[in-house]
Amino acid sequence: MEIRSTDREGFRLVYGKCYPVLVKICYHITYDMDVAEDLVQEAFERFYLKNMGFPSEDDAKYWLIRVAKNLALNHVRRSKREGAMVDKVKAAAVTKPSAGHDGERLLMEGETVKEVRAAIKALPENLRMVIILKEYGHLDYKAIGRVLGISEGNVKIRVHRARKKLEESLSGDEGYVY
Amino acid sequence: MCIDEALLSTYLDGELKEPYKSQTEEHLSHCAACRARLEKLKALGQLLEADSIDEVELSRAKEKTAGILEGKFFVEGGKKPSFLRRRIEMGLGSMVTAAAGLVVVFIGGFVLFGSSRAQTSEIIPSYTVNADSANVHFVSSPQQGLDAYSLEEILSYLDSRGYNVDISLKGVQPIGQ
Repeated sequence: MEIRSTDREGFRLVYGKCYPVLVKICYHITYDMDVAEDLVQEAFERFYLKNMGFPSEDDAKYWLIRVAKNLALNHVRRSKREGAMVDKVKAAAVTKPSAGHDGERLLMEGETVKEVRAAIKALPENLRMVIILKEYGHLDYKAIGRVLGISEGNVKIRVHRARKKLEESLSGDEGYVY
Repeated sequence: MCIDEALLSTYLDGELKEPYKSQTEEHLSHCAACRARLEKLKALGQLLEADSIDEVELSRAKEKTAGILEGKFFVEGGKKPSFLRRRIEMGLGSMVTAAAGLVVVFIGGFVLFGSSRAQTSEIIPSYTVNADSANVHFVSSPQQGLDAYSLEEILSYLDSRGYNVDISLKGVQPIGQ
């Protein structure tokens, strides 16, 4: 079914299908729910304003994932650049306990989540993106290949290598693996 | 022979094609070591799942953003947001570059167009300054300054006007005094 991004029904259909995936991907690149929401909104705004036609739902989905992923990567790069400034401000402000859902969950599963994040952050970018799209976006190899512009075989290899590296860095604590 | 790690990872993702898929299953049915490796891979996936977004949180975000987008694009009789109302994100670097660019354009505009009457009137027809190189004159010219006269000429002029000027070099005394 052809999708036009300015068509109300088409937009709603794509939004309903893609929103969770996009937020998950953006969240696992930025590790900030508010930022992820903003970026996904921005991606959908671009989607509408570009007024594009897509041969299928999947094509629209791949386009959106590509845009959202790039927005998130840019955000991370920018905040790294401005990181020094932000750190100063944070140091000046009174340290408050991490608020909301994120904070509570972090307290409960704190250590595991911390270790998983550290392991994922330690991956080189080409492996990290593939594993985020696979494990958190739950995309298949074909979709990952389309989003990243690489072959399915390449996706297969990268997923495998990323898992191997993650196993290595997480197996320090056997208790979590078994 | 046991199954390759990469093959196992592909099998776990359900992306292994026939006949490899049934061969792998057949092997797994009698090889405990490979089953253990598969379980380990599955455990890794579950471990990664520990860091996932709460579903309630996700649907709240979905509703919220849907509301914003519907309001922006699909409200009855609503218009597309104008260029000015769109959020423009800019880093510090690009902001500095843009500012510098504006300054260059501003000054460059004056350099290129500001001095020529013809072009100024072309750009702003109602407002033309009568200030091109044809009718602008230097107020002071080098011919009228003191530099144009020698020291003797200045002295004799002052002498003729009745001034008694004594000129000496600082720190140098005439001989015999």
